[in-house]
Amino acid sequence: MHETRFGALIVASLMSLLLLADSGGADDSSVTGADDVNASAGLLSPLSSLEDPVDRMLETQFENGLRVLTLEDHATPVVSFQLWVRVGSRDESRYTGLAHLFEHMMFKGSDNIPPEKHAQLINARGGRINAFTSRDFTVYLADVTSETLPLVIELEAERVANLDISQETLDSERQVVLEERRMRTEDRPMGRALEALMALTYTAHPYRWPVIGWRSDVEKATVEACREFFDAYYVPNNMVIAIAGDFETGPTLDVIRRTFGKLPRATRIPRNPTVEPVQTGERRAIVHFDLRAPVLAAAWPAPASGHVDGEALDVLSTILSAGRSSRLYRRLVYDEEQALDAEGGFWEMLESGVFYAFATARPGVSIDRVERLFMEEIERLQREPIGQDELDKAKRQMEVGLVNGLATSHALASRIGREVSTFGRVRPLAERLASIQAVTVEDVQRVARTYLQKDKRSVVHVIAAPPGFAEQNGAGR
Amino acid sequence: MRGRLVIAAAVSMLLALGCATPAWEQPPPPTQDRPVVQEGMFHRAELDNGLELLVLEDHRLPRVTLGVTVRRGEGVVSFDQAGLAVFTAELMRRGAGDWNALELSRAVDELGASLSIRAGWDSMSVGVAGLSRDLDALLEILSAVILQPQMDRREADRTRAETLAQLEKAKDDPGTLARWHLARALYDGHRYGRPQAGVPETVETLDAKKARSFYRSVFVPNDAIFYAAGDVDMASLLPRVGVALGAWERGEVLPPGPAPPEQVPAARKIVIVDRPDLVQARIILGHEGIARANPDRIAASLMNTTLGGGGFSARLMETLRAEAGLTYAVGSGYGLRRHPGPFVVSTFTRVHEVRRVLDLTLEELERMQQDPPSEDELAAARALLVGRFSLGLETSAAVLGALVNLEVYRLPPDSLDTYRGRIRATTTEDTARMARQLLHPDRLVIVLVGPAEALRPQLEQLGPVEVVEP
Repeated sequence: MHETRFGALIVASLMSLLLLADSGGADDSSVTGADDVNASAGLLSPLSSLEDPVDRMLETQFENGLRVLTLEDHATPVVSFQLWVRVGSRDESRYTGLAHLFEHMMFKGSDNIPPEKHAQLINARGGRINAFTSRDFTVYLADVTSETLPLVIELEAERVANLDISQETLDSERQVVLEERRMRTEDRPMGRALEALMALTYTAHPYRWPVIGWRSDVEKATVEACREFFDAYYVPNNMVIAIAGDFETGPTLDVIRRTFGKLPRATRIPRNPTVEPVQTGERRAIVHFDLRAPVLAAAWPAPASGHVDGEALDVLSTILSAGRSSRLYRRLVYDEEQALDAEGGFWEMLESGVFYAFATARPGVSIDRVERLFMEEIERLQREPIGQDELDKAKRQMEVGLVNGLATSHALASRIGREVSTFGRVRPLAERLASIQAVTVEDVQRVARTYLQKDKRSVVHVIAAPPGFAEQNGAGR
Repeated sequence: MRGRLVIAAAVSMLLALGCATPAWEQPPPPTQDRPVVQEGMFHRAELDNGLELLVLEDHRLPRVTLGVTVRRGEGVVSFDQAGLAVFTAELMRRGAGDWNALELSRAVDELGASLSIRAGWDSMSVGVAGLSRDLDALLEILSAVILQPQMDRREADRTRAETLAQLEKAKDDPGTLARWHLARALYDGHRYGRPQAGVPETVETLDAKKARSFYRSVFVPNDAIFYAAGDVDMASLLPRVGVALGAWERGEVLPPGPAPPEQVPAARKIVIVDRPDLVQARIILGHEGIARANPDRIAASLMNTTLGGGGFSARLMETLRAEAGLTYAVGSGYGLRRHPGPFVVSTFTRVHEVRRVLDLTLEELERMQQDPPSEDELAAARALLVGRFSLGLETSAAVLGALVNLEVYRLPPDSLDTYRGRIRATTTEDTARMARQLLHPDRLVIVLVGPAEALRPQLEQLGPVEVVEP
């Protein structure tokens, strides 16, 4: 899952489902006259001369294996600190949801810090603090002004060194996570769709279970399991620290050396061995839910992060989904007036990716009709080459994402943290631009034919139960 | 450069020596307030037709955000035409100048740009963002949408059908249902009692003619603000804006809409929106709040930060999530509009725990009055708001957005510069007064979205209960 691979237009709605961000309360509602900053990009000429801040990034590797990425930029008032841990739900063995539950426990106190105090200390200095868990990574984030950075680092090191997991706090926090699960998944059509879709697309690989875990596992996960998980994965040679913005590298590295530098390296980091078997036929599932607007979700197996076809799949995603001139919006929402939204996109993960399709039917419209229209658009991409103008437009739109990624310290820290955690290095802007430019009309048709085959897809319909179903099955629970 | 390195080394030695005292036991180091905008980068001007210009130069990246905001929105629409401003905004997105709906979208997408047209309670905005080298093309799009929207009849029919479908779909989201029913229970008969996008019976009556007439009455340059942030310079931008928007003719300014009743509700009432399938109940409590321009806004905001606006530092979060494990999130806040919008506490919990959550929430509201923010709590709230403000200064588009917001409400143009000072000058007496004046736990509307059968028995002696369909 790669923000530059997606672009805000495509997955704004999905991001919150794919990641489990652990943020605070409901927003203050207020009215502003301002609009989103959706900057844009151009052809190679204006952007190829653009300075990539990452050229100034410094990488420091500690003896215990910890990698620290520092990118100073004093033109901004903010410094973003991110701790990327290479552990996600794919690493769970007995209890699904443990990586995410554990992320919550990281806020529940350590030897020297009582529960909740960590977040409160950062808040009390005006900082923003958050964390999220995905299938591949667990990330702890703080955006602060520069004078607070040493505190952020010391607090982060304190919980990594001295986390205290008690039965009492675990029992209380699992209730919080179960509420999160009800909110994101159980009572939400898109949540139901995504959960069913991943379990259908992956039959064996750990990507099949939801990041938040199955309810029964979250209910039963033990203190011992949390501790074992912590000991196995929260080790310096499984971590990347990324810092970008207004700070001084020298003293910051000293604080990190004094804190994180003392952590012992692990000799071995366990990983699940399972490889997903090749899919040999279409899979379909139906989820009944009390809803007005039925949901279509589909997925095809696609390459893992870093595959050479990644850029062509991104172009394909952009042509299908980015902007109101995109094919899916035009056909399903505008011309045929059958859907309220429709998007298709490439979602890459460390071990394998998926190409997904999501659409919401208008109330009263059959989900079969929406699926048929969606798949017709996929088949058209396989049958007919796209126009050169459409390719140029998509490339322009993709470069938007790259420029946006330079706008804030947070986005910069995310980029370097994610890229080093994924690829072991940061891909320079020029390299990204060049590989986008290299995609041809033929590439797009080829990846559509290679990956989006009918007998490789999994399809989920979330629809209202037929009359009588609820009574028979006790859907009211 | 060498000087900085030496200082850095000295600081790091100090840090190394001082490691016996962890940072969390030391008092927060002094903060330094950065200026809101850099010297010489912010400009104001006015065109002959009365259009105000706000321009914030920022040459760090080759991109620009620009747009026009008018000072009228859904707030001037009547109760029985609810949704007209939102409908008009969407219709403006569907064809302008020589471009039909698809051609306009293609013109935007080919630049890799974005175009958003929005209606809020008190403003409507047309915004474009793209590469600064495409400035002329972006201005052309902006000018076409502002001056020559097509307001096509066929597009109006499509927009109406899509809006009606969206309104129906929105009922699948418990949070949206809760907000809608709270608004209705508080403000029925007033415009604030219906969602911004309207309700089916009003949207069904909207058409191209009504949108055209609303557009004409609201899009007048003498009540509008042009804004630009990013890689532009004022000297070359000014004549271009003159070309793009100089021909926009002055017009009469629509009076603001009527204010809602001062106290809503008169007495506590409970509304259950029956969704028998849900495993979690949405809970939202509210009564009247304060207007955007209320002089007590800062003090109210600080009080609310301690109550429920301050994330993990807020009392409600501490009580409901950290101590009781009853929810994943709880928050409180003010709908800041021209007239007082709602003050709202919002959360969710498993169905059978609703009563406990309600009791604890009501207790916290009462406690805020009897035991208002302490010096420590206020200090934390001040730091949180000042810090959020400082972090918000990172992008020029965000700063300019805040400056435009001040203009929309005709607040003093230096409000951002004085903001941190006003936060620091607020005392515990101020926040105690806010808690006394602004919180009314005895007369709240409580909306619950979930299975009525399981919710109703939990509500004994809390107040009169009404059960409604979504």
